[in-house]
Amino acid sequence: MEKKFERNTFGKRLGSMLKVDFRRMFTMPLVYIIVAACLVIPVVILIMTTMMDGTVSVDPQTGAETVVEGFDNVWQIIGSVSGGSSESADASGMGAGMSLTSMANINMLYFGIAALVCIFVAEDFRSGYAKNLFTIRAKKSDYVISKTIVCSFGAALMILAFFIGSLLGGAISGLSFEMVGFGVGNLIMSVLAKVILVSVFVPIYLIMSVVAKQKLWLSLVLSFMVGMFLFMMIPMLTPLNATIMNVLLCLAGGVLFGAGLGAISNIVLKKTSLV
Amino acid sequence: MNAIEIKNLTKNFGPKQALAGLNMTVPAGAIYGFIGENGSGKSTTEKIICGLIHESGGSVRLFGRDYTDADVRAKIGVLIEAPGCFPNYSVWNNMKLQAANLGMKNAEPEIVKVLKMVRMEGAASNKYKNCSLGMKQRIGIAMALLGNPDLLVLDEPINGLDADGMRIMREVLCDLAQNHGVTIVISSHILGELEKIATHYGIVRGGKMLCEMTADELEASCRTYVALKAKDMNRAKFILGSRYSRVEEDEAGYIRVYDITTPEETVTCLYENGILVSEIKTDKIGLEEYYIDLMKEGRK
Repeated sequence: MEKKFERNTFGKRLGSMLKVDFRRMFTMPLVYIIVAACLVIPVVILIMTTMMDGTVSVDPQTGAETVVEGFDNVWQIIGSVSGGSSESADASGMGAGMSLTSMANINMLYFGIAALVCIFVAEDFRSGYAKNLFTIRAKKSDYVISKTIVCSFGAALMILAFFIGSLLGGAISGLSFEMVGFGVGNLIMSVLAKVILVSVFVPIYLIMSVVAKQKLWLSLVLSFMVGMFLFMMIPMLTPLNATIMNVLLCLAGGVLFGAGLGAISNIVLKKTSLV
Repeated sequence: MNAIEIKNLTKNFGPKQALAGLNMTVPAGAIYGFIGENGSGKSTTEKIICGLIHESGGSVRLFGRDYTDADVRAKIGVLIEAPGCFPNYSVWNNMKLQAANLGMKNAEPEIVKVLKMVRMEGAASNKYKNCSLGMKQRIGIAMALLGNPDLLVLDEPINGLDADGMRIMREVLCDLAQNHGVTIVISSHILGELEKIATHYGIVRGGKMLCEMTADELEASCRTYVALKAKDMNRAKFILGSRYSRVEEDEAGYIRVYDITTPEETVTCLYENGILVSEIKTDKIGLEEYYIDLMKEGRK
């Protein structure tokens, strides 16, 4: 006679997996450190760049003078208005010259998200907890879906913390909050699009992490390398004058990347040794 | 019903073949002692059962279902190599995490119960990284016991345990098998301990199952011997060696004569040759010696 087992539905499996991952995420000091850093960094950047704005440095050998450019208004640290080519270039880091604003903006967070995902996944394998997880979980997709959701949630917190930090930093440094070429609605759409866009990056970092498993350094290197290629699209997809179309585009990208890369992560976990 | 049924299992790691058509049958409710030399394929088999690595060929069925079945896998407890715990979490938090992993509701009483079973209730608030090796092994067992598993797969669970820890572990495992019907697969190199609890044995060598037997069958096939000490050990050994097929000197300095029924026969033989016996006893070879013998025969 065959032994009867309790039916383990997808909902039940995913529910328990999400519970594990959320519990883990919010008991990891690192998450709080990262989110706190996301809150503090824009404050520091805005104050520092405002202080340094217009500072002239002279190259002692050539005598060439370089003027350090700071932010003109708070929203530059969040994004740029599409169609404004120079600003767009600044925000994306292309042809930025000496401008501090070119690198120090919210888009850099997408690299920070790589650190969050890689550390989170590598810890499972380094601690040996992956053995407990995968012994009980025959379906590797539970792990991939749960990790994608939880890491996206953590990444969204980072984006929101950075946004709040930017507002605080702008207020402290006395920068202008004037909105030129966009409105509050566009700003909300832009931030929302950035939050949703993390669901494109998280599956990329997740696949690198499950390939590298306990080798954190490898997952970080791979994530930074691959993330670099997609980094350019962030300012284009999430400009300050974003509309619902940008949000939907990011959502579609997130679903596409989440499903496609999630399936690959699932195959990687199925085909490779988990210990 | 069989808890585990493995047929023709193969596993290759690149050009190296770790399992070469292994067959294994573990009856439900058994304590199955899985024995073999280092690199013989024990851990590989256990990892495949637990879904941590994938077979190259063959089939693995757990309680009549394929081993990838999500329902059956939710009822497996595992301790392979070291317990999978987060070092900076407390023992309690690690247990809570595993309870969440198992989808347990109101897990606290269950966690307290399993920690008590392995006598670790006093260490629940300790950080895992501050626990000793023996404590970590017990925590690993407690973690494997969460969720009332039907099958426990334990790889070297008594490593690092002191004598009291081993006794506790023995009691826990016997209780689980006898009173709760849990099937336990346990691999260990400490054969003396294994012999005290196992109801079935599987001896693996070179990625193949050399033999499977019950504890009773092992008992029946373990040879009796007469161990003795005499005044002139060398001559006694020579005389006995010329009369019996297998005579050996053991580590304690006794001459062992196998395959004879009575010590009187040995004493008479030596007495007739002018040798006085100073000590004599009869005994049976244990699992360890049986295993060593089997390995020696396999190498020949």
